Amino acid sequence: MRIPIRIIGIATAFFWIILIVFSVSAAYSVKDLQFDFGEPQIGVTLDNKILFSLPITIINKGYYNIGFFNVTTEVSDKEGFTITQGTTFIPIIKKGEGITTTHNATIDVNDLLQSNQNYLFNNTELKILEVVSMRIAEVIPVQASTNLSIAWGAPLYNFTLGEIEYTVSNQTHLRAIIPISFENHAFFDLTGSIQICMYNSTNMLVDEGQTIIEARQNSPYRGYIELYVLTAEMTETGCFEVYFLTPFFSYGPLVIPYG
Amino acid sequence: MVDANKDFKKRLQKITFKALKATLKGVFFYAIYFVLSMFLAPISEIVPGFQRMVETFVMVYIFLIIVGELTSGTIFQHFLNAAKALFVILYLILSFKGGIMGITFQNINLIVDLRLFLIIAMLLSLLGFAKSILQAINFLNEKTEYSHI
Repeated sequence: MRIPIRIIGIATAFFWIILIVFSVSAAYSVKDLQFDFGEPQIGVTLDNKILFSLPITIINKGYYNIGFFNVTTEVSDKEGFTITQGTTFIPIIKKGEGITTTHNATIDVNDLLQSNQNYLFNNTELKILEVVSMRIAEVIPVQASTNLSIAWGAPLYNFTLGEIEYTVSNQTHLRAIIPISFENHAFFDLTGSIQICMYNSTNMLVDEGQTIIEARQNSPYRGYIELYVLTAEMTETGCFEVYFLTPFFSYGPLVIPYG
Repeated sequence: MVDANKDFKKRLQKITFKALKATLKGVFFYAIYFVLSMFLAPISEIVPGFQRMVETFVMVYIFLIIVGELTSGTIFQHFLNAAKALFVILYLILSFKGGIMGITFQNINLIVDLRLFLIIAMLLSLLGFAKSILQAINFLNEKTEYSHI
Protein backbone atom coordinates (compact mmCIF):
# COMPACT_ATOMS: atom_id res chain seq x y z
CA MET A 1 0.00 0.00 0.00
CA ARG A 2 2.97 2.25 0.53
CA ILE A 3 3.83 2.45 -3.17
CA PRO A 4 0.37 3.61 -4.34
CA ILE A 5 0.32 6.19 -1.53
CA ARG A 6 3.75 7.43 -2.56
CA ILE A 7 2.65 7.63 -6.20
CA ILE A 8 -0.44 9.63 -5.17
CA GLY A 9 1.83 11.92 -3.15
CA ILE A 10 4.26 12.45 -6.02
CA ALA A 11 1.45 13.05 -8.53
CA THR A 12 -0.29 15.51 -6.19
CA ALA A 13 2.96 17.40 -5.55
CA PHE A 14 3.71 17.49 -9.28
CA PHE A 15 0.31 18.92 -10.18
CA TRP A 16 0.45 21.40 -7.27
CA ILE A 17 3.80 22.68 -8.55
CA ILE A 18 2.42 23.04 -12.09
CA LEU A 19 -0.70 24.81 -10.82
CA ILE A 20 1.19 27.23 -8.58
CA VAL A 21 3.90 28.02 -11.13
CA PHE A 22 1.30 28.56 -13.86
CA SER A 23 -0.95 30.74 -11.65
CA VAL A 24 1.88 32.88 -10.35
CA SER A 25 3.52 33.34 -13.76
CA ALA A 26 0.14 34.15 -15.36
CA ALA A 27 -0.58 36.73 -12.65
CA TYR A 28 2.92 38.15 -12.96
CA SER A 29 2.73 38.44 -16.72
CA VAL A 30 -0.33 40.70 -16.41
CA LYS A 31 2.03 43.53 -15.53
CA ASP A 32 3.66 43.14 -18.94
CA LEU A 33 0.39 43.74 -20.73
CA GLN A 34 0.07 47.22 -22.14
CA PHE A 35 -3.25 48.74 -23.08
CA ASP A 36 -3.36 52.06 -24.80
CA PHE A 37 -6.76 53.58 -25.41
CA GLY A 38 -6.35 56.46 -27.81
CA GLU A 39 -8.35 59.64 -28.11
CA PRO A 40 -12.01 58.80 -28.85
CA GLN A 41 -13.18 60.27 -32.12
CA ILE A 42 -16.64 61.15 -33.30
CA GLY A 43 -17.48 61.14 -36.95
CA VAL A 44 -20.19 60.35 -39.44
CA THR A 45 -20.48 57.15 -41.45
CA LEU A 46 -21.35 57.01 -45.14
CA ASP A 47 -24.93 56.11 -44.25
CA ASN A 48 -25.15 59.18 -41.98
CA LYS A 49 -24.89 57.50 -38.61
CA ILE A 50 -22.89 58.97 -35.80
CA LEU A 51 -19.70 56.99 -35.35
CA PHE A 52 -17.72 56.74 -32.11
CA SER A 53 -14.32 55.23 -32.69
CA LEU A 54 -11.76 54.36 -30.09
CA PRO A 55 -8.28 53.30 -31.18
CA ILE A 56 -6.94 50.49 -28.98
CA THR A 57 -3.38 49.24 -28.90
CA ILE A 58 -2.55 46.08 -26.97
CA ILE A 59 1.03 44.95 -26.50
CA ASN A 60 1.41 41.53 -24.92
CA LYS A 61 4.89 41.21 -23.45
CA GLY A 62 3.73 38.56 -20.96
CA TYR A 63 4.58 34.88 -20.90
CA TYR A 64 1.25 33.70 -22.26
CA ASN A 65 -1.17 34.44 -25.06
CA ILE A 66 -4.24 36.53 -24.40
CA GLY A 67 -7.43 34.97 -25.67
CA PHE A 68 -10.94 36.20 -26.39
CA PHE A 69 -10.13 39.90 -26.09
CA ASN A 70 -13.43 41.69 -26.31
CA VAL A 71 -14.45 45.32 -26.01
CA THR A 72 -18.13 46.17 -25.78
CA THR A 73 -19.66 49.62 -25.67
CA GLU A 74 -23.30 49.99 -24.80
CA VAL A 75 -24.89 53.41 -25.07
CA SER A 76 -28.19 53.87 -23.27
CA ASP A 77 -30.41 56.71 -22.22
CA LYS A 78 -31.27 57.77 -18.67
CA GLU A 79 -34.11 55.25 -18.51
CA GLY A 80 -31.79 52.42 -19.47
CA PHE A 81 -33.06 52.00 -23.04
CA THR A 82 -30.19 50.66 -25.14
CA ILE A 83 -29.53 52.98 -28.06
CA THR A 84 -26.58 51.21 -29.56
CA GLN A 85 -24.04 48.52 -28.90
CA GLY A 86 -20.64 48.03 -30.46
CA THR A 87 -18.33 45.06 -30.04
CA THR A 88 -14.73 44.46 -31.04
CA PHE A 89 -13.39 40.95 -30.72
CA ILE A 90 -9.83 39.72 -31.12
CA PRO A 91 -9.59 35.92 -30.82
CA ILE A 92 -5.96 35.79 -29.76
CA ILE A 93 -3.08 38.13 -28.97
CA LYS A 94 0.07 36.07 -29.06
CA LYS A 95 2.87 36.62 -26.56
CA GLY A 96 5.37 39.17 -27.71
CA GLU A 97 2.95 40.64 -30.22
CA GLY A 98 1.16 43.94 -30.41
CA ILE A 99 -2.21 44.62 -31.98
CA THR A 100 -3.81 47.90 -32.93
CA THR A 101 -7.49 48.00 -33.63
CA THR A 102 -10.32 50.48 -33.67
CA HIS A 103 -13.40 49.91 -31.61
CA ASN A 104 -16.48 51.39 -33.29
CA ALA A 105 -19.99 52.08 -32.13
CA THR A 106 -22.56 53.78 -34.31
CA ILE A 107 -25.65 55.71 -33.31
CA ASP A 108 -28.59 56.05 -35.64
CA VAL A 109 -30.29 59.30 -34.63
CA ASN A 110 -33.59 57.98 -36.00
CA ASP A 111 -33.37 55.07 -33.54
CA LEU A 112 -32.54 57.53 -30.81
CA LEU A 113 -35.65 59.57 -31.61
CA GLN A 114 -37.80 56.47 -31.34
CA SER A 115 -36.97 56.21 -27.65
CA ASN A 116 -37.29 59.90 -26.91
CA GLN A 117 -37.94 62.79 -29.27
CA ASN A 118 -36.59 65.29 -26.80
CA TYR A 119 -33.09 64.42 -27.99
CA LEU A 120 -33.73 66.81 -30.87
CA PHE A 121 -34.60 69.77 -28.71
CA ASN A 122 -33.06 69.27 -25.27
CA ASN A 123 -29.51 68.67 -24.16
CA THR A 124 -29.19 65.60 -22.00
CA GLU A 125 -26.77 62.87 -21.00
CA LEU A 126 -26.18 59.44 -22.44
CA LYS A 127 -24.86 56.58 -20.36
CA ILE A 128 -22.00 54.48 -21.68
CA LEU A 129 -21.14 51.06 -20.33
CA GLU A 130 -17.66 50.04 -21.40
CA VAL A 131 -16.71 46.40 -20.88
CA VAL A 132 -13.29 44.95 -21.62
CA SER A 133 -12.90 41.20 -21.18
CA MET A 134 -10.16 38.73 -21.99
CA ARG A 135 -8.72 35.40 -20.98
CA ILE A 136 -5.29 35.62 -19.44
CA ALA A 137 -3.17 32.72 -20.66
CA GLU A 138 -6.32 31.79 -22.60
CA VAL A 139 -7.86 30.20 -19.49
CA ILE A 140 -8.41 32.81 -16.76
CA PRO A 141 -11.35 35.08 -17.62
CA VAL A 142 -10.95 38.69 -16.52
CA GLN A 143 -13.47 41.45 -17.07
CA ALA A 144 -13.22 45.16 -16.40
CA SER A 145 -16.20 47.44 -16.77
CA THR A 146 -16.91 51.07 -16.18
CA ASN A 147 -19.83 53.44 -16.48
CA LEU A 148 -19.40 56.78 -18.15
CA SER A 149 -21.74 59.50 -19.21
CA ILE A 150 -21.43 61.83 -22.18
CA ALA A 151 -23.28 65.00 -22.89
CA TRP A 152 -25.78 64.86 -25.72
CA GLY A 153 -26.16 68.18 -27.48
CA ALA A 154 -29.53 68.71 -29.12
CA PRO A 155 -29.25 69.60 -32.81
CA LEU A 156 -32.40 71.76 -32.66
CA TYR A 157 -31.93 73.24 -29.20
CA ASN A 158 -34.42 75.97 -28.35
CA PHE A 159 -36.24 75.60 -31.67
CA THR A 160 -38.77 78.41 -31.97
CA LEU A 161 -40.96 79.95 -34.61
CA GLY A 162 -41.02 83.69 -34.11
CA GLU A 163 -43.81 86.22 -34.48
CA ILE A 164 -45.38 85.97 -37.95
CA GLU A 165 -45.00 89.09 -40.05
CA TYR A 166 -47.81 89.66 -42.53
CA THR A 167 -47.54 91.93 -45.53
CA VAL A 168 -50.04 92.38 -48.29
CA SER A 169 -48.84 90.61 -51.41
CA ASN A 170 -51.77 91.37 -53.70
CA GLN A 171 -55.55 91.81 -53.44
CA THR A 172 -56.15 88.18 -52.53
CA HIS A 173 -52.95 87.00 -50.89
CA LEU A 174 -50.88 87.81 -47.85
CA ARG A 175 -47.19 87.21 -47.51
CA ALA A 176 -46.40 85.55 -44.15
CA ILE A 177 -42.83 85.47 -42.96
CA ILE A 178 -42.20 82.93 -40.21
CA PRO A 179 -38.86 83.41 -38.44
CA ILE A 180 -37.08 80.21 -37.41
CA SER A 181 -34.34 80.00 -34.83
CA PHE A 182 -32.48 77.28 -33.00
CA GLU A 183 -29.01 76.40 -31.80
CA ASN A 184 -27.14 73.36 -33.03
CA HIS A 185 -25.60 71.88 -29.89
CA ALA A 186 -24.86 68.56 -31.60
CA PHE A 187 -21.35 67.41 -32.42
CA PHE A 188 -22.13 67.36 -36.12
CA ASP A 189 -22.94 70.05 -38.64
CA LEU A 190 -26.61 70.11 -39.44
CA THR A 191 -27.72 70.47 -43.03
CA GLY A 192 -31.12 69.71 -44.47
CA SER A 193 -34.48 71.30 -44.84
CA ILE A 194 -37.38 72.42 -42.75
CA GLN A 195 -40.88 72.21 -44.14
CA ILE A 196 -43.74 74.14 -42.56
CA CYS A 197 -47.44 73.55 -43.21
CA MET A 198 -49.77 76.27 -41.99
CA TYR A 199 -53.28 75.30 -40.87
CA ASN A 200 -56.05 77.69 -39.94
CA SER A 201 -58.47 77.26 -37.05
CA THR A 202 -60.66 74.90 -39.13
CA ASN A 203 -57.65 72.64 -39.73
CA MET A 204 -57.51 73.61 -43.37
CA LEU A 205 -54.08 73.69 -45.01
CA VAL A 206 -53.49 77.31 -45.86
CA ASP A 207 -50.02 76.99 -47.40
CA GLU A 208 -46.75 75.21 -47.05
CA GLY A 209 -43.16 76.12 -47.63
CA GLN A 210 -39.68 74.95 -46.95
CA THR A 211 -36.23 76.30 -46.43
CA ILE A 212 -32.73 74.90 -46.46
CA ILE A 213 -30.91 74.94 -43.16
CA GLU A 214 -27.21 74.85 -42.54
CA ALA A 215 -26.03 75.12 -38.97
CA ARG A 216 -22.50 74.36 -37.91
CA GLN A 217 -21.98 72.55 -34.64
CA ASN A 218 -22.34 74.77 -31.57
CA SER A 219 -23.66 77.67 -33.56
CA PRO A 220 -27.06 79.37 -33.72
CA TYR A 221 -29.28 79.36 -36.79
CA ARG A 222 -31.63 82.11 -37.81
CA GLY A 223 -33.77 81.96 -40.92
CA TYR A 224 -37.32 82.29 -42.14
CA ILE A 225 -39.92 80.70 -44.34
CA GLU A 226 -42.15 82.68 -46.63
CA LEU A 227 -45.74 81.59 -47.17
CA TYR A 228 -48.35 83.10 -49.49
CA VAL A 229 -51.77 82.63 -48.03
CA LEU A 230 -55.24 83.47 -49.22
CA THR A 231 -56.55 86.36 -47.14
CA ALA A 232 -59.95 84.74 -46.99
CA GLU A 233 -58.54 81.54 -45.50
CA MET A 234 -56.55 83.24 -42.81
CA THR A 235 -57.74 82.98 -39.22
CA GLU A 236 -56.31 84.53 -36.09
CA THR A 237 -55.45 81.17 -34.61
CA GLY A 238 -54.23 77.90 -36.05
CA CYS A 239 -51.18 75.76 -36.04
CA PHE A 240 -48.00 74.96 -37.89
CA GLU A 241 -46.79 71.50 -38.66
CA VAL A 242 -43.04 71.46 -38.92
CA TYR A 243 -41.10 68.68 -40.64
CA PHE A 244 -37.34 68.25 -40.46
CA LEU A 245 -35.43 66.39 -43.11
CA THR A 246 -31.68 65.99 -42.63
CA PRO A 247 -29.19 63.26 -43.55
CA PHE A 248 -29.12 62.24 -39.87
CA PHE A 249 -32.80 62.16 -39.09
CA SER A 250 -36.28 62.80 -40.37
CA TYR A 251 -38.78 64.12 -37.92
CA GLY A 252 -42.24 65.53 -38.03
CA PRO A 253 -44.79 66.78 -37.63
CA LEU A 254 -43.95 69.05 -34.75
CA VAL A 255 -47.17 70.91 -34.04
CA ILE A 256 -46.78 74.54 -32.93
CA PRO A 257 -49.89 76.66 -32.44
CA TYR A 258 -49.99 80.30 -33.43
CA GLY A 259 -52.22 83.23 -32.62
CA MET B 1 20.42 2.38 34.10
CA VAL B 2 22.59 2.31 31.00
CA ASP B 3 19.61 1.14 28.90
CA ALA B 4 17.45 3.97 30.21
CA ASN B 5 20.17 6.46 29.38
CA LYS B 6 20.53 5.03 25.88
CA ASP B 7 16.76 5.13 25.42
CA PHE B 8 16.63 8.75 26.54
CA LYS B 9 19.46 9.66 24.17
CA LYS B 10 17.72 7.90 21.32
CA ARG B 11 14.46 9.72 22.03
CA LEU B 12 16.23 13.06 22.28
CA GLN B 13 17.99 12.38 19.01
CA LYS B 14 14.69 11.46 17.41
CA ILE B 15 12.94 14.59 18.70
CA THR B 16 15.87 16.79 17.66
CA PHE B 17 15.85 15.24 14.21
CA LYS B 18 12.08 15.79 13.92
CA ALA B 19 12.39 19.40 15.09
CA LEU B 20 15.22 20.00 12.64
CA LYS B 21 13.24 18.44 9.80
CA ALA B 22 10.16 20.49 10.75
CA THR B 23 12.23 23.68 10.87
CA LEU B 24 13.82 22.95 7.52
CA LYS B 25 10.44 22.18 5.94
CA GLY B 26 8.99 25.37 7.40
CA VAL B 27 11.94 27.46 6.21
CA PHE B 28 11.81 25.83 2.77
CA PHE B 29 8.09 26.49 2.46
CA TYR B 30 8.56 30.09 3.61
CA ALA B 31 11.38 30.55 1.08
CA ILE B 32 9.07 29.36 -1.69
CA TYR B 33 6.41 31.80 -0.48
CA PHE B 34 8.99 34.58 -0.34
CA VAL B 35 10.05 34.01 -3.95
CA LEU B 36 6.46 33.69 -5.19
CA SER B 37 5.35 36.80 -3.28
CA MET B 38 7.76 38.86 -5.37
CA PHE B 39 5.96 37.69 -8.49
CA LEU B 40 2.58 38.34 -6.90
CA ALA B 41 3.53 41.89 -5.87
CA PRO B 42 1.70 43.52 -8.84
CA ILE B 43 -1.55 41.83 -7.76
CA SER B 44 -1.07 42.89 -4.14
CA GLU B 45 -0.89 46.48 -5.31
CA ILE B 46 -4.22 46.21 -7.12
CA VAL B 47 -6.19 43.86 -4.87
CA PRO B 48 -6.52 45.16 -1.32
CA GLY B 49 -6.19 42.44 1.30
CA PHE B 50 -4.59 39.96 -1.08
CA GLN B 51 -1.23 40.10 0.71
CA ARG B 52 -2.87 39.51 4.10
CA MET B 53 -4.94 36.66 2.69
CA VAL B 54 -1.85 34.89 1.36
CA GLU B 55 0.13 35.59 4.53
CA THR B 56 -2.57 34.11 6.75
CA PHE B 57 -2.72 31.03 4.54
CA VAL B 58 1.06 30.60 4.61
CA MET B 59 1.23 31.06 8.40
CA VAL B 60 -1.43 28.42 9.10
CA TYR B 61 0.01 26.07 6.49
CA ILE B 62 3.55 26.34 7.89
CA PHE B 63 2.17 25.78 11.39
CA LEU B 64 0.40 22.61 10.20
CA ILE B 65 3.57 21.45 8.40
CA ILE B 66 5.69 21.92 11.54
CA VAL B 67 3.18 20.27 13.87
CA GLY B 68 2.64 17.47 11.33
CA GLU B 69 6.36 16.88 11.16
CA LEU B 70 6.76 16.89 14.95
CA THR B 71 4.03 14.27 15.24
CA SER B 72 5.50 12.10 12.49
CA GLY B 73 5.46 8.41 13.25
CA THR B 74 2.13 8.75 15.05
CA ILE B 75 -1.46 8.64 13.84
CA PHE B 76 -1.73 12.39 14.55
CA GLN B 77 0.57 13.13 11.64
CA HIS B 78 -2.04 11.73 9.26
CA PHE B 79 -4.86 13.56 11.02
CA LEU B 80 -2.90 16.78 10.65
CA ASN B 81 -2.22 16.07 6.99
CA ALA B 82 -5.95 15.49 6.44
CA ALA B 83 -6.66 18.72 8.36
CA LYS B 84 -4.13 20.49 6.14
CA ALA B 85 -5.92 19.32 2.99
CA LEU B 86 -9.31 20.33 4.40
CA PHE B 87 -7.91 23.68 5.49
CA VAL B 88 -6.67 24.37 1.94
CA ILE B 89 -10.11 23.53 0.49
CA LEU B 90 -12.02 25.67 3.00
CA TYR B 91 -9.58 28.55 2.83
CA LEU B 92 -9.68 28.63 -0.96
CA ILE B 93 -13.49 28.56 -1.02
CA LEU B 94 -13.78 31.31 1.60
CA SER B 95 -11.03 33.59 0.35
CA PHE B 96 -11.85 33.26 -3.33
CA LYS B 97 -15.57 33.75 -2.63
CA GLY B 98 -16.67 30.84 -4.77
CA GLY B 99 -14.14 31.55 -7.50
CA ILE B 100 -15.44 34.86 -8.83
CA MET B 101 -13.56 37.77 -7.34
CA GLY B 102 -14.61 41.34 -7.88
CA ILE B 103 -12.98 44.59 -6.91
CA THR B 104 -13.76 48.20 -7.64
CA PHE B 105 -10.85 50.43 -8.48
CA GLN B 106 -11.47 54.07 -9.42
CA ASN B 107 -14.90 53.56 -11.00
CA ILE B 108 -13.67 50.41 -12.73
CA ASN B 109 -15.19 47.09 -11.73
CA LEU B 110 -12.75 44.25 -12.15
CA ILE B 111 -13.99 40.66 -12.12
CA VAL B 112 -11.62 37.71 -12.19
CA ASP B 113 -13.08 34.26 -12.71
CA LEU B 114 -10.88 31.79 -10.84
CA ARG B 115 -13.36 28.91 -10.78
CA LEU B 116 -11.17 26.68 -12.94
CA PHE B 117 -8.18 27.30 -10.68
CA LEU B 118 -10.35 26.70 -7.63
CA ILE B 119 -11.72 23.42 -8.97
CA ILE B 120 -8.26 22.10 -9.81
CA ALA B 121 -6.88 23.20 -6.41
CA MET B 122 -9.81 21.58 -4.62
CA LEU B 123 -9.42 18.34 -6.56
CA LEU B 124 -5.72 18.25 -5.70
CA SER B 125 -6.53 18.95 -2.05
CA LEU B 126 -9.13 16.19 -2.08
CA LEU B 127 -6.48 13.90 -3.50
CA GLY B 128 -4.20 14.97 -0.65
CA PHE B 129 -7.01 14.32 1.82
CA ALA B 130 -7.58 10.84 0.35
CA LYS B 131 -3.85 10.20 0.56
CA SER B 132 -3.85 11.14 4.27
CA ILE B 133 -6.76 8.80 4.96
CA LEU B 134 -4.99 5.99 3.12
CA GLN B 135 -1.82 6.73 5.06
CA ALA B 136 -3.76 6.61 8.33
CA ILE B 137 -5.34 3.27 7.37
CA ASN B 138 -1.95 1.94 6.31
CA PHE B 139 -0.38 3.18 9.53
CA LEU B 140 -2.99 1.42 11.70
CA ASN B 141 -2.74 -1.68 9.54
CA GLU B 142 1.03 -1.87 9.87
CA LYS B 143 0.81 -1.19 13.61
CA THR B 144 -1.69 -4.01 14.07
CA GLU B 145 0.45 -6.40 12.01
CA TYR B 146 3.56 -5.38 13.98
CA SER B 147 1.86 -5.89 17.37
CA HIS B 148 0.63 -9.37 16.22
CA ILE B 149 4.16 -10.40 15.30
